[in-house]
Amino acid sequence: MKFIQKLPIEARLNPSKHPVPTVWSEGGYSYRVQFECMASDYSILIECDRVDLVIEAAKKAIIEAWRIEHKFSRYQVDNTFSMIHSWPDVKQTLDQETAQLMLFSYHAHQVSGGLFDITSGILRQAWRFDGSDNLPSPEQIQTSLVHVGWEKLGWSPQSPDQLCLPKGMELDFGGIGKEYAVDKMLKLSLSIFGDVPVAVLINGGGDIACSGPRLDGQGWRVGIESLKADHTSDQIISLSSGALATSGDRHRFLLKSGVRYSHVLNPLTGWPVEKAPRSVTVAAPNCVNAGILATLSLLQGNNADAFLKSLAVPYWIYSERG
Amino acid sequence: MVVKGLEVAVVAVTKTMKKNHELAKVLAAASCALIGSLSTAHAEESWDVDSAFLLYSESDGRVSAAEPVISATKNYDSETRLNVKLVADTLTGASANGATPSDEAQTFTSPSGNGTYTAAVGDQPLDDTFRDTRVALSSNWNAPINRDWAYGVGGYVSKEHDYQSLGVSSSVSRYLNQKNTTLTLGLGAANDTINPEGGVPTGLFQVPESASSSEFAQRDDSESKSIMDAVFGLTQVVNRNTIMQFNYSINTSSGYLTDPYKILSVIDDDSTGNNYGGNYTVNNRNLYLYEKRPDSRLKQSLYWQTKHQFDNNDILDVSYRYMFDDWGITSHTIDAKYRFRFDHQYLEPQLRWYSQSKADFYHRYLDSSAYTEVDFASADYRLGDLDTYTIGLRYGYQFADETEFYTRFSLYHQESSGDDGYGKLTSQELYPGLDAAMLMIGYKF
Repeated sequence: MKFIQKLPIEARLNPSKHPVPTVWSEGGYSYRVQFECMASDYSILIECDRVDLVIEAAKKAIIEAWRIEHKFSRYQVDNTFSMIHSWPDVKQTLDQETAQLMLFSYHAHQVSGGLFDITSGILRQAWRFDGSDNLPSPEQIQTSLVHVGWEKLGWSPQSPDQLCLPKGMELDFGGIGKEYAVDKMLKLSLSIFGDVPVAVLINGGGDIACSGPRLDGQGWRVGIESLKADHTSDQIISLSSGALATSGDRHRFLLKSGVRYSHVLNPLTGWPVEKAPRSVTVAAPNCVNAGILATLSLLQGNNADAFLKSLAVPYWIYSERG
Repeated sequence: MVVKGLEVAVVAVTKTMKKNHELAKVLAAASCALIGSLSTAHAEESWDVDSAFLLYSESDGRVSAAEPVISATKNYDSETRLNVKLVADTLTGASANGATPSDEAQTFTSPSGNGTYTAAVGDQPLDDTFRDTRVALSSNWNAPINRDWAYGVGGYVSKEHDYQSLGVSSSVSRYLNQKNTTLTLGLGAANDTINPEGGVPTGLFQVPESASSSEFAQRDDSESKSIMDAVFGLTQVVNRNTIMQFNYSINTSSGYLTDPYKILSVIDDDSTGNNYGGNYTVNNRNLYLYEKRPDSRLKQSLYWQTKHQFDNNDILDVSYRYMFDDWGITSHTIDAKYRFRFDHQYLEPQLRWYSQSKADFYHRYLDSSAYTEVDFASADYRLGDLDTYTIGLRYGYQFADETEFYTRFSLYHQESSGDDGYGKLTSQELYPGLDAAMLMIGYKF
């Protein structure tokens, strides 16, 4: 891999003040653009003989990723997320993109029987998954649960841009934000090339989407981490269309009296899902779709494997024993 | 009990499977709605099928045609594809046989020699036995050789009851200038066989009265022609929104190029007689001759096309073709389309103008004093001075699943011109115009 150039982006389009992205050559007409976003390493792989278009596409994709990150970040003060939360108990009008995310969250909530719930982020105030043995008390959990529950929102799918957010509740788009950014980056970068032959793969910290096979017709080689320290059971798969997303706890868990509490919380009980796999990777036509299926399968706990099987999608699962 | 328990369990599992299948579908749809549908643009190898139905009708009901077309393309990747196309058309109606209208009713021998048909006073002589069904199948394969070169090969076969065509084609393309420039060399060869009803008539020979005539006895059953063509093309990407193409092509045909069903009238040019400008008669029969064309033709053409996409996504497509051949025909074709694009729909008006100058051996009729001196002659209006105009409107609707419905309606107008004859002939309409309407309905999936 050979360093080619830095890819400077105007400060106003870099609200989270990330380092300058870099462009690398992987030989031939293969390029890799690396940058940071949502506390992960992102990379864009592009095969095309028009380097000017490669740069333009990468720039557009990075600006989009940073825009999405900033817009829904819980740690900013002047963004959409903070705006929504600074007007509790009143009817407010959401922008088109947020309304679309709400609609998607609604469908995911409906079909999962309430297991996927973007209002459950607040439970993390009770649960701190730092590898320690500090479990919250049942009272703490009950207090948090008061402010959890999609049906408590003043929102309906008939008018998805109208929201009344009860005081104390929080909407957390983090569960789909990264995958959403990956899909949007792919879409925007492809729009640059027109009829010029190109192959693109976006890797957002392990969540991946590609435009199709590489220019030589081969699939992209993608590694799936096994979580084992020696990586002996890492798998390399060939991705020639669609997307991959991984959901898992990696280093985020609690351990008490020999019981490992995963960071996957059941929003109905407020407690971690028992016997959830450590990590699930799912392939689907787009990254948002892959991500939601991976997340829902973790929420099935013990049944994750059977659940994934019934979906008839390619998946890779690593459980405690594995 | 055990069995029942198992049944219950099976039902439960099946229900879960079904439920989860629904869940997967809902989430797939919801995720597509969220991010838009672009990411599946070249997701997988699948067949793109374009099916269409064309209806063609000439005014006064002379010829009507119905033509189903199915074209299927399998894209293996952005540069490798296989296309298979099947066309079937059924033509019914009457076509001009080449003779001039007359101030007397005219009786013609049908092509098979087994019957006759009649044109009333002043009417265009039309051969109403014209009816044909054609089936054509073609296939093309295009693939890259390496980064800079690509090739294509194709084959073509078509069949009518009296005509067969078999062709092959190949092309090689070279990309230059970071694929902004493409040079293409294409070569094609075809062999056509014609086995007309009643056999192959003798050119410039009098149309006999019936199949019992000796002329019929000496006819061959079939004739053939071979065609070779070469195209040299240059495609240039001018900028992100504009693409331009130049082609030079050369096409040679040799063999039987005559239309066995077309005839010519011989007109009495004795200005002192009282039949001046009327049908010339021999042995009390009007003299009609079978047409005869040279046995070779060399055509060359130059073609220029530009497509431009505007900032609002509308597309302008303009082309011009100049063709000339050693039969003396030159032609100009100008075609312009403008596609207004809306969210899921488009509207595309089209204008086309074609203008042609006649072949050296085109004669609307032959003079009685000179008909024995011509080597070649045809009264086929398609070889005469000709202008055609097409105005069309196409509408398409693209569904969310990327399938497309489209329909196109066009009106076609044709005008011929030439010398108006003499004597009695001047009162006849020698160059009737033609109007036709076409309706096409198609669905791409």
